[in-house]
Parts: sequence; structure tokens; C-alpha cells
Amino acid sequence: MKRVVLTAIAVLLAVLFTCALPSSAAPPAPAATTPPTSPAVPTGSAPAPAPTRAPGIPATLRVGTEGVYPPFSYHDEKTNKLTGFDIEYMDALAAKLGTKVEYVETPWDAMFAALETDRFDLVANQVTYNEERAALYDLSEPYIETTGVIVVRDGDDSIKSLADLKGKRAAENLTSNWAEVAKNAGATIVGVDAMALAIDNLRQGRVDVVVNDKLAIQNYLATRPDPGVKVVAETDDTSRSVFAARKGSGYMPSINKAINELQADGTTKRIYDKYFTPKAQAPSRWDLVRDNAWPMLRQLIKVTIPLTFISFAIGLVLALLVALGRMSPNPVLSNLARFYISVIRGTPLLVQLFIIFYGLPEFGVKIDPFPAAVIALSLNVAGYAAEVIRAAIQSLPKGQWEAAETIGMNRVTTLRRIIIPQAARTAVPPLSNTLISLLKDTSLTSVILVVDLLRQAQIAAAPSLQFFTMYLMAAVYYYLACLVLSFIQSRTEVRLNRFVAS
Amino acid sequence: MTDHTPRPDHSTTDGGSVAPPTAARGIPLVAVDHLAKSFGAHEVLKDISFTVEPGTVTCVIGPSGSGKTTLLRSLDALEIPDAGVVRVGDCTVDFGEIHPGPKRRLDRRTRELLATLRSKSGMVFQAHNLFAHRTVLQNLLEGPVVVQGEPVAQATERARRLLDEVGLSAHVDKYPFQLSGGQQQRVGIARALALRPQVVLFDEPTSALDPELVGEVLGVMKTLAAEGWTMVVVTHELRFARQVADQVLFIDEGLVVERGTPEQVIGDPQQARTKAFLRRIMEPI
Repeated sequence: MKRVVLTAIAVLLAVLFTCALPSSAAPPAPAATTPPTSPAVPTGSAPAPAPTRAPGIPATLRVGTEGVYPPFSYHDEKTNKLTGFDIEYMDALAAKLGTKVEYVETPWDAMFAALETDRFDLVANQVTYNEERAALYDLSEPYIETTGVIVVRDGDDSIKSLADLKGKRAAENLTSNWAEVAKNAGATIVGVDAMALAIDNLRQGRVDVVVNDKLAIQNYLATRPDPGVKVVAETDDTSRSVFAARKGSGYMPSINKAINELQADGTTKRIYDKYFTPKAQAPSRWDLVRDNAWPMLRQLIKVTIPLTFISFAIGLVLALLVALGRMSPNPVLSNLARFYISVIRGTPLLVQLFIIFYGLPEFGVKIDPFPAAVIALSLNVAGYAAEVIRAAIQSLPKGQWEAAETIGMNRVTTLRRIIIPQAARTAVPPLSNTLISLLKDTSLTSVILVVDLLRQAQIAAAPSLQFFTMYLMAAVYYYLACLVLSFIQSRTEVRLNRFVAS
Repeated sequence: MTDHTPRPDHSTTDGGSVAPPTAARGIPLVAVDHLAKSFGAHEVLKDISFTVEPGTVTCVIGPSGSGKTTLLRSLDALEIPDAGVVRVGDCTVDFGEIHPGPKRRLDRRTRELLATLRSKSGMVFQAHNLFAHRTVLQNLLEGPVVVQGEPVAQATERARRLLDEVGLSAHVDKYPFQLSGGQQQRVGIARALALRPQVVLFDEPTSALDPELVGEVLGVMKTLAAEGWTMVVVTHELRFARQVADQVLFIDEGLVVERGTPEQVIGDPQQARTKAFLRRIMEPI
């Protein structure tokens, strides 16, 4: 038994190491250090950072940003480069600070968890100043000020100001400042992932109102010929966007100085005008599909499929060990296995991903996104597959064990040569279910910064806000991948059924 | 972690032989002494003692629930008796000294001892218990090659001869499900012989078969008996016992009620219980 366990652990470690390598070689977000994208940025035109680095600033500043929040932080439709007001401003700021920037793309709802667990040093994503945040984080002086706007459906006259929000339903990013504003005005908050989805919900009549950043809404309306929604009012208070770092970072004196310099030399105004003057119409749906067919397929092949298969392979080995533990005469082992299964099956995969990625760093264990995803998914698969494997093993007649015993086999050899090959036949259909679910569950890993197929679809959808089209396209890719898995399943079943009467 | 069974030295054995092992006459090959076994409050074996001479056939008969299958399984340590001594060849196990933990857990030394005992005998099951995912030939190789480490070529050669002997040369590459019940049981017999046991144990080998298939299995067993294999057979086939057995044990309620030649036990039973049992078998209606 000992040897089997050791082999399993060795396999596990080997796989973890090999999958740790590509992910550290290729950072989780497609954007690496980006030189200023616009030739007009005055101080950033030199490729090398200024020789003198501002005090308190590290040589490379890791910056967290959404990448799906136009026009502040998104991927250019043509070049797929990370760009936007916040990005270009950050590049200019970094040039002033004499440091390099490395962007880490993170969903907004995971942004502060990632900041706290040292995934990056600074957030550049239209973080709105408020006192709660000021108490928890180092915040810079504002680099842009804007007001919120109240958006309603065309033809809805019941809302004219914040005061009318009482009892209405508002679609907002749960952790955003605008959710707070709407809630204080008495609205019920419906949580959505992105501003574009909030507007979709509004258009479709699922909610009554959206409160959001004026600049973001203006940009959205400018790219839509027939938005179906209208701005009815501005909120009273201005919202000030700031950079956020962990408490005690010591960055802010230098950053604040640079912000003032950018204001003084006109850079801020220039970048502002570039992003907040109404743009030409967004590309057509078909252009979008054509342009993103390959990038999405690439993420499917490079991330989603390897993630699925590596996690499944490790998960199966773990599942076998858990199943054996569960059947062990040793009460400690069997109860441990039982507990493991109940915890894994009794908690959401999303929470498991969060705990591995954002929870473990609290205890000094920091794991890159891809290996963290592999760990969480394998542990999850193990919990589900263990019961399948146990049932399959126990469904074999006792005579098979006895026959092996009488020819002198020990239990490990019996398992390996007699029991598992026969149990595999009954286990394959339910395990295939697990595999196919796993393929789609990998889409949850975007919350821990894995750029998988679904995340790529979000990135592609963000500039033009065509989420429906891109999600549909992602669904087609997932479906095709599942068809292939189903085909493999039926081939495997035929092979394993060769020794039973049809 | 290795298999516990001692590995025979294949370089000195007669590679292709499928003949029974030779043993000195006069010294019993199997000796069972005061064997007792309970399942909970139910005493299945109360006090069983007997011996088996090499090259002889012992048939164990008795009503269902009398303990005969438990007795046979004890010889192969598939059941762990509570007390008593079993000796097969030069391996002696005193079950009085073996105390399984919860869920039949045994320490390593005991497991090795039992594996040695098992290596002395081959078991033929009522339900044949062939490995369903292995072909006929692979079923025969599993023990010699995987457990005992015999070279594949030599083991294959022997397996083919054994299959020839049980009349299955045409079916070596079939899977068990492709065979009839009688053929499956003959593979089961060949698999037991492939281990080169000193004694072959049969647990009601024909009870699960359709009546027209019983003959082919008994025929093979008769041939083996004639070749000089030492056999212990739990059976309800009185005609077979009469024709082939050297010794018949009649067991009831965990005790040996009568023991002797077939002529004595079946032909001229002395005990009332034996007579009643034989009458029920021969005149069921």
C-alpha cells in the first residue's frame, strides 16, 4: 500500500511542477509590461524608464486592473493589447515614477482580495474614494473626477432623480461605489458582473435603473446606435478615482507627486480627451466573431483543455486513494475520507477556488493561478469521483477478490490487476459525466486570474460590450469540446465492454 | 511490498510438466485437527478432524448448512477458523494462535503464513470466479506469472497443456463470457492446477451448472483423480463420490458424523443421520 501512496504522491508533485512552469513562464494575463501605447504620451516615449526611480517605488510595479471595463481598462479590438484610460494614465504615471509596470488582469469582485494577498501592488481601475476604503488601504489623490449618472429605459418617466430610486431595482457591480449610492437611495441591488450586463438587464426590463460612472455610460451610449436607455440625471456628489495599495506601502507620496505633474503638464487632459470623446460605431457582430475565433480557440487549447485533463488525471488518482481510504477497515482513515468527501461535495467550487488562491496566501502559501486552479479542481474531482470509484469497486462480486486471494495475490496486486480494470467498466459512464462537468467548471477559474476560454470571451466582448455574442460563441466552443469528450467516452466504453456479453 | 507466496525455483522444475506433484505415500498430505468456527452465535464447525493421503480423493458430503463449504474454505484460509490446526504438506497453521482484529485485520506475519498455506492448494469455486476481463489463457497465467514469477513462455506452454487436458484448446483466447457454464468451470479447474498445488479443493463445482453440463466437469475431475492428483471435493454428486472417492466424510451440524470408504459411508451407513441424508438425496420425492 505504501508504495502505491508514494507513487501517487510522486505523480501528483511531478504534474504540479510541470504545470507550474508554463504558467510562470506565461503570466496569467495576456498583458505584460506594456510600453505606452500612444505615441503622444510625452514622458513615456522613451522605451526605457527614467533612470531615477521615485522614492519608495519598486523597480517593477504590479498593477491590478479589470481588462473588461471600457473605456478605462480593456483590450483593443484590433491589436488585443490592454488599453484604456486607466492603462494609458498608469503608463504615463509609471514613466514619471521611473518604474516598469506589469499588469495583472483580475475580475473586479476579486480585486481587493488579490491586492491583499500580494498578487499585485496597486489597483488602477477607477477605484472610487470612500472612507471605508481609506481605512483599509493606502489611497492616492484623485487622478480623475466624475459624477454618477442615473440611467433608465426609454419611455420610463417614473425616475427623475436619486430620490425616485426608493423601492426600485438597480443593477450594479456588488462591490462598486455605485451600488452603495443606489442602495443609500433606497433601491434594491441586483448584482451583475459588468456595466454592460447592467444595461442589458435594464433594457430587458429586469431592473428599473442603473447608476454608474458618467464617463463609462457616455462611452457606452456613444458606441450604440440604438441603446434603448437614457440618462435622466446626475448624482450630486462627484466620485473621485484613486489608486489603491496595501496599507503601509509607502508609494503614495511619490504617486501623488506624479499625479500633480501629469495634471500640470497637460497629459491628463490629453488622455482624457482621447477616451471620452464620442467614438465611431463599434465593429459589427460578425467582425467580432471573426476577429476572436482564433484567440478564443487558442485559450481553449492552451488553458481550458490542459486544465481539464491535468486536473482530471490528478483528481482520479486522489479519488482512488480516497475511495480506498473510505473502504479501509481503519476507522481513522475511513472517517477522514468520509469527511473529505462531504466537505468537497458540500461546498461550492467557487469558494474552494477562492480559498486555495486567496485564502492560502494568508498562511504564506502563494500559488500561481494555473497550478492553483489545478489543485482546486483536482481536489474537487477527487471528492466526486471517489464515491463513483467506491461504488464500482464494491459492485464487483466478492468471488473476484477470493479467486485472486487463492492464487496468492496480495490486496494491492489484486486491486491493480483484477479489481480496477473491471471496476473501470462500470465507472466510465459516471466518470465521463464528471469530466464533462469539469470542462465547463474550468470557466470558474477566471476569478482566480486564469485567462481561460470564458475569460477570453469576456475580454473580447468588453470593448464593444457585445457580451451576448461572445458568450454564445464561447458556448459553441465548449459544446464542441464536450462532443469530442463524449466521443472519447463511447470509444472507451466499447473497449472496456469487450469482455462482457453485449 | 511483494506477494507473500514463496516463489518456486523455476530453473530446477520440470518446465512443461502438468502432472500432479509426487509425495511419499503413508504420510498424510492434509491433516485437520479439532477445527472449530462460529459465525456470531452460530457454531458452523464444532470439532472437525481428518487426514487426506497423497494421491487420494476425499469427498465431503452433508446437508446444506452442515459446514462443509466452511471446512473447505478453511483449508485455503478463505475463512479463519477460531481454533484447530490445519497442515497441508509442510505448512502448519494453528488457528488458535491467530486472532483477527476488527474487520478481519491480520498482522503481516500471519498474512504471510496464510499465503504460504494457500500456495499449497488450488481452489475451484462453485461460481468459478474467473477473471472476467482476462482471456482463458490469461486467467491461467495470472497466478504463475504475476504471483510466482514464472517466465511467461514457460507458463504459457504449461497453461496450453492444461487447457488441452480439460478439453479447451480451441478456446484459449476467448473471454469467459463467451464460454458455456461447463467450459467456464473447466477453465476454473485448469486455473487451480496452473499453480501446481499439492492438493486441489473443489467447492460444489457442479452445483451451479445446468444438468446436461455436469458430466463434462465430473469427467475432467475423474481424469485428474486417475492421474493421481490429491483432491478434496465438497459435492452432492453421490455417483461421482462412489466411483472416484477413496474417502468420504459425512458432515452434519459441524461434526464428522461418518468417515470411511464410499462403500462404508454411502453403501452401508451406520448413523441414523447419514441414512436420513442419503435417503433424501436418492429419493427426493
